[in-house]
Amino acid sequence: MAEWIRFWIVAAILFAGIFCYVLEVIGIFRFGYVLNRMHASGIGDTMGLLLIVVALMIASGWNFTTLKLLLLIIFMWLTSPTSTHFLSMVEMNTNPYLDRYVRRREKT
Amino acid sequence: MRELFRKWMEGDQDPMESILDISMQADQSRDERKQITHEKRRMLSADPGSQERVEQDRRWFRKIYLAVAVISCISLSLVLLYTVSLMPRYGAENPRTTEVVSRYVEEGIEETGAVNIVSGMILDYRAFDTLGESHVLFTALVCVMILLRIDKKNQRTGYEDYYTIRSDSYFDLSRDPILPAMGRALIPCILLYGIYILLNGQNSPGGGFSGGAVIGAGMILFSAAFGMQFADRFLTLKLCNIVTFVSLAFYSFAKGYVFFMGANGLENHIPKGTPGAILSGGMILPLDIAVGCVVSVTMFGFYSLFRRGSIGMDVDYGRFASGGRKGKLTASSLKDSGKAKGTASFSKDPCKAKGTAFFSKDSGKAKAAGRKG
Repeated sequence: MAEWIRFWIVAAILFAGIFCYVLEVIGIFRFGYVLNRMHASGIGDTMGLLLIVVALMIASGWNFTTLKLLLLIIFMWLTSPTSTHFLSMVEMNTNPYLDRYVRRREKT
Repeated sequence: MRELFRKWMEGDQDPMESILDISMQADQSRDERKQITHEKRRMLSADPGSQERVEQDRRWFRKIYLAVAVISCISLSLVLLYTVSLMPRYGAENPRTTEVVSRYVEEGIEETGAVNIVSGMILDYRAFDTLGESHVLFTALVCVMILLRIDKKNQRTGYEDYYTIRSDSYFDLSRDPILPAMGRALIPCILLYGIYILLNGQNSPGGGFSGGAVIGAGMILFSAAFGMQFADRFLTLKLCNIVTFVSLAFYSFAKGYVFFMGANGLENHIPKGTPGAILSGGMILPLDIAVGCVVSVTMFGFYSLFRRGSIGMDVDYGRFASGGRKGKLTASSLKDSGKAKGTASFSKDPCKAKGTAFFSKDSGKAKAAGRKG
């Protein structure tokens, strides 16, 4: 019985994570501008990764693999936003027609 | 912190203002360069005899080039087709697919002393192949160096100001506070993990190539996070040369010794150790380390050469060499000239003037004016 409960919890969380990735893929292919697409890809890189890895942690039980998966989450959550930050910065600094896509707040 | 964030949101203060200040640079040197090439061309065209000679040489060269290309292509394809005709039919019973594989699986651990059979194969049975792969990496690095390196011969052409400064100011990520903080936390972990993969290659999946790639990525992250000037202190061209040469020479020597002894039926005095221990597998561990050194140096060398045309600080950057990073690319020193030119040159090349106009108040208006004009 306990095994079945665990199985269904794992399945539910896994499907939630896969749903996040589906949103990400649709966003990447449907959006036209790079910042929008980065926004869409951020969903999968953070929430989808978290949900899937947490599901795997529950499935594997309490052992050394759990720690490795936790380290995976920490590593990805540190590196992915950093690279996104620099990608957006390069886009903002090198796109000559930024105003067509982005409305910037005027300084008061 | 919240105060700062609120100010940022309301637009009173921009945290990027002191960090991200990209200015126009090296316009003058570019113009000078254009003028020089123009004059050269004019000098050439002034002498009609020389031009004719050059044209004749070029025609000859083209003919010979075409002939050599056709001959080498045809001969190479003939050799390859002949080799293919000697191969056994697909799916047929041949020793390559039956005996060799079963021997690797059954007696690999005993004969090489490595639990990871892939490592045992690529560094023991087929070590000569791996030596060739390492040399391919080395050759690639040398070729990139030939093409991209800025040294004393091509230093004074006017290119180096333009490219180094422009690219450094666009992509010098170390002036942003995020990447150095992240690097301080992550780089030790990445390097440690790479060394673990490298040293544990005979016991678990991994080995020289993957471990070297991880270490090379860590070195690239290091030089991106803390600035090239910081990485120059120990990652110099001399170090790269020494490491590559020592690794390849050691690999060749050690494997040559083993092959010589094995081919002549002599006993080589290298203990195999107990399979599974860290010091096992005979020559596999040192060879893994040699391959890893070559791979990591190659990766870092590619990055460094593509980014600024040199490994380490072997180029004299002229007026920008003195004063270090702060003096080299301060916002204030380049801001004035950039702001003065900003609107004027905007209609020509919006991309370049953007940096200065970007975070200033009138950026939108300047841009609109530039587009209209």
